[in-house]
Amino acid sequence: MKTPYKIIIVFTVALVLLLVSLSLGTRIINPVDMTDIILGGAGSADYTILVKLRLPRALLAMVIGASLAVSGTVFQSVLKNPLADPYLIGVSGGAALGATAGIVLNAGQYAVAAAAFAGSIAAISAVYLLSKRMSLGSSALILSGMALGFILSAAVLLVYALSRSDQIHRAMLWLMGDLSGARYDMLGGLGGLTLLLALTVAAFHKHLDVISLGATFSKNLGVTEGNIRTVFWIASLLAAISVSLAGVIGFVGLIVPHLMRNIFGPRHLRLIPAAAAGGALFLLASDTIGRSLAPPFEIPVGIITSFLGGAFFLVYMIRREAGR
Amino acid sequence: MNVFELNSITAGYGGVPVIRDLSLKIAGGEFISMIGPNGAGKSTLLKIMSGDIIPGAGSVHFNGRPLREYRPRALARMLSVVHQAIETRAAYTVREFIRMGRFPHQGSLVVEADSDREVIEWAAETTGVGHLLDRRLTELSGGELQLVRIAHALSQNSRVILLDEPVSHLDIQHTVMIMDILWKLNRDGATVMAVLHDINLASDYSGRIIGMKEGGIFFNGEPGEVLRYDLVESLFGTACIVMDNPTTGRPFVYPVPGYIK
Repeated sequence: MKTPYKIIIVFTVALVLLLVSLSLGTRIINPVDMTDIILGGAGSADYTILVKLRLPRALLAMVIGASLAVSGTVFQSVLKNPLADPYLIGVSGGAALGATAGIVLNAGQYAVAAAAFAGSIAAISAVYLLSKRMSLGSSALILSGMALGFILSAAVLLVYALSRSDQIHRAMLWLMGDLSGARYDMLGGLGGLTLLLALTVAAFHKHLDVISLGATFSKNLGVTEGNIRTVFWIASLLAAISVSLAGVIGFVGLIVPHLMRNIFGPRHLRLIPAAAAGGALFLLASDTIGRSLAPPFEIPVGIITSFLGGAFFLVYMIRREAGR
Repeated sequence: MNVFELNSITAGYGGVPVIRDLSLKIAGGEFISMIGPNGAGKSTLLKIMSGDIIPGAGSVHFNGRPLREYRPRALARMLSVVHQAIETRAAYTVREFIRMGRFPHQGSLVVEADSDREVIEWAAETTGVGHLLDRRLTELSGGELQLVRIAHALSQNSRVILLDEPVSHLDIQHTVMIMDILWKLNRDGATVMAVLHDINLASDYSGRIIGMKEGGIFFNGEPGEVLRYDLVESLFGTACIVMDNPTTGRPFVYPVPGYIK
């Protein structure tokens, strides 16, 4: 299939999915009525649900999904490991500790996000410095990220053990990934920043092609450690922003890049936009499923993505075994 | 002018020296083969020349300037390296992979300029992989992949090429194809230096053979001078007989079965 057709298909799917997502939930809104509701202006309950709750949430899902998937794509290439994802290097562990501490201390939504971001950046820096001492090899990075992840999750559990139960529930919901805090002001600033970071890393598409083929290979072609550092930190920032806004949403940064690489090939010029689109759609679909599977309850989106991600992983491994 | 000038270099991994006090000059247009037992330091020497390893002592000059003064991209435009194996075989197409050799020549927004296309097609034609351009690396045989890797190196630069065991594990057809390609490039002016395990290929194709042993140069000269049975025997610790190859007139080394010194 030619690329233009693939792009048209992606856009059509995105549009349909967005309409489905806006329509489904505890109260089902017929897509045909949507223009009337929006033109009817503020005041009706449907307007509030559609414009103030579902639309920003759908947009946030797409931004977070896209940035996690782009981040995962970059990490898989830089670490030369198809099973790498942003959480492997401590992004989520540090954010979880920061957010949990913030929630237990009764901080507001923005303070929790800031604490999560700070924790995330601190954890990545620690992993980065540790692995740098071991000359930045990709396995050193993954191993120190995993080790730090264990320590951080022990610290999170320690905070749980020492706090009251109602706060623990809030903190656990955060850990499962939560898009319900979506608001337009947050979308404007951070959506723009995310887009800027994604475009910057996309400008490094040729570097990433070369880097994905190995350290010596890329060095002999003139890629510097500074180049690798740059893409590493952009990908880390993308993941850290996502996690601090929406909690730990697993597997998006792992399965989406993987699938897109199979469909669009390994070249980053195509892979990065494809991953962005795929991640946006995957998270939007997952959140829609989570909201509409058992109304009025909402299943946290992280649970849906982990279910789907785990299932994908098993199928992938079975297929790979069968392919031998 | 000398392309490479190494002055009493010492280098190794984690403080253990692999190369000890080694000096070497390579003139432009030479075809040099490096032979020697496993662990003698051949690959390490090649990595020093490509800038992958910085020697702990001594100096390395490339085209008259200290190697470490080159900006990485500038060096990449003047020096190609074909290592023993690429670490991952990703699903890039052959054309995409050869095009990566143009990376140090390109501006950041260029994917494939007309000048790049010419070089890529020349490199593919020179190595006989023009019919493979749309295939994926994952679909190639070992011999095809090695030809493609040489095409990649040529699209990067075709003046100075370092190769680490370019024909190990290949069948004789691909071995001869690759050695012929290197020979033709050298005839057109390229400086070629290859680590080879096959003494007789080194003898047939190269102008100078460097025998390495225990981190130093054991012998260094034309095939006819250095491929004497006594020298080869003490380099490798085997017994052998040297005769002339009837097709090339160069020395041909036969190891004697059952004799290890």
